[in-house]
Amino acid sequence: MAINGEFYFAKSHEWISKNADDKFYIGISDFAQSELGDVVYVSFPEVGKVYEKGDKIGEIESVKSVSEIYAPVSLKIISVNSKLNDNPELINRQPYDAGFVAEAEVSDSSDVDGLMDKNAYESFITSIHE
Amino acid sequence: MDARVNKRTPLYSEHVKAGAKIVSFAGFFMPLYYKSIIEEHLNVRNDSGIFDISHMGEIIIKGRDASSFVDYVFTADVSKIKDGEIIYSLILNEKGGIIDDVTVFKFSDSDYMAVVNAANTPKDFSWMHYQQIEFQKAGNNVTVENISETVGLLSVQGPKSRDLIYSLASDAVDIGKCGLFDFKFGAKPVKELKHFEFSCAVFKDINVEALISRSGYTGEFGFEIFVSAEKTVVLWNYLLKNSRLSNLIPIGLGARDTLRFEAALPLYGHELDETINPYDAGLEKYLSTTKNFIGKEALSDIKNKEKRLIFFKLSGKQIPRHLQRILDKNLKPIGCIASGTYSPSNKFPIGSAYLSDTDIDPLFLKDFFIDIRGNFEKAEVVVPPFHRNFKRS
Repeated sequence: MAINGEFYFAKSHEWISKNADDKFYIGISDFAQSELGDVVYVSFPEVGKVYEKGDKIGEIESVKSVSEIYAPVSLKIISVNSKLNDNPELINRQPYDAGFVAEAEVSDSSDVDGLMDKNAYESFITSIHE
Repeated sequence: MDARVNKRTPLYSEHVKAGAKIVSFAGFFMPLYYKSIIEEHLNVRNDSGIFDISHMGEIIIKGRDASSFVDYVFTADVSKIKDGEIIYSLILNEKGGIIDDVTVFKFSDSDYMAVVNAANTPKDFSWMHYQQIEFQKAGNNVTVENISETVGLLSVQGPKSRDLIYSLASDAVDIGKCGLFDFKFGAKPVKELKHFEFSCAVFKDINVEALISRSGYTGEFGFEIFVSAEKTVVLWNYLLKNSRLSNLIPIGLGARDTLRFEAALPLYGHELDETINPYDAGLEKYLSTTKNFIGKEALSDIKNKEKRLIFFKLSGKQIPRHLQRILDKNLKPIGCIASGTYSPSNKFPIGSAYLSDTDIDPLFLKDFFIDIRGNFEKAEVVVPPFHRNFKRS
């Protein structure tokens, strides 16, 4: 697959990307996966459920730690990336592509504009790493 | 992380250069992994890996009465081993609780070295120093010295580690000084060392002498190398420069933990602490029956185990973590997780736990659950080691 839209990031390190077909993909950033290390388990959001921005929608567990996934904007889950059940390491290998977590509908796409774009997110990471 | 209290091993900059994820552990900045815990783990099981374990403590015990001292402070029959041999032992408090688990190296009847857990080095040294004063008051000749800051410690582990070490480590020609250490016994050739024996190795290309032991914490064939702090970087880089001899890669503390846990080797702070006695932990074979030692009297009053250590695997994918609860089939709490991790060799979660009810026979413990953040995950008792059926690739 190829997620080809622009990526927007939340401070809690999730990304969301709008694609040509108006679907939104969500996942966790490359920085987040590298901080977690080897991912071994993903607990997914509920398909069909509506989540508010900031709601906990799942968990990503690595060998050493567990981290929560939050909704970067208010959204409704359409489907989850069930490939991660057998291949959770896709999150480490292709966090912006085959390692996406779920597909969603976003009712108010202006929410996405309130997130950080790629450059802003990179500066954000640099600032928290110092 | 608090930079004011964390120490750095001599290899800190090498780890940073190699892109390691650095964490605070036992008062040190240490590499958790370089690239991937799972890949590093499997590299050790299949080929080899090198660990910086310079954070561990080394305490020298010297003097005419060193043998009586080590026999009193440590639970195992330490003085009975031969010069050039190593023994695993516990240090107990007067109540029989475990202060630390250690290995003790014997150079002679008057010269020993205890290798202790990093987090416990100050505590162990204070304890031993106090015992030294008591010994001296009684007219004995013994001194203890904490030399941890002068020693770098590398561990080279894995089935192919011998290919690397046997090619690069020459034997010392003269008996006597070996880097930081004095050998008064005839050191064995490196290739003849058996498990829990040590000798002197000379790395000729870089002109470094080091104490080398056949020991480790992975369940694999391997070596531990004690070298002066100043020469640690040179030796580390030299071994890695020759990585092709054994497909050697650097391994972080993450894989050190998964490797030791698959081999069911205890970790202080998880399987062991001062509230746990050696019977609880299943370590009674390290208690001497022929001599007195600190804690022995208290242990003789312990008729029944207070807790029982079990090992288990999970059918689900969530990882059990330290201190989570174990529930029986009626969801009644029956114990607490000691260690929990993912087993890279088996590709499923594994753990150990202390059952608070010692009437439960682990062999008949069926249908029990781990409370992982409110999910009750089904578990099954396993007799370790966990990597027994691992097929090397």
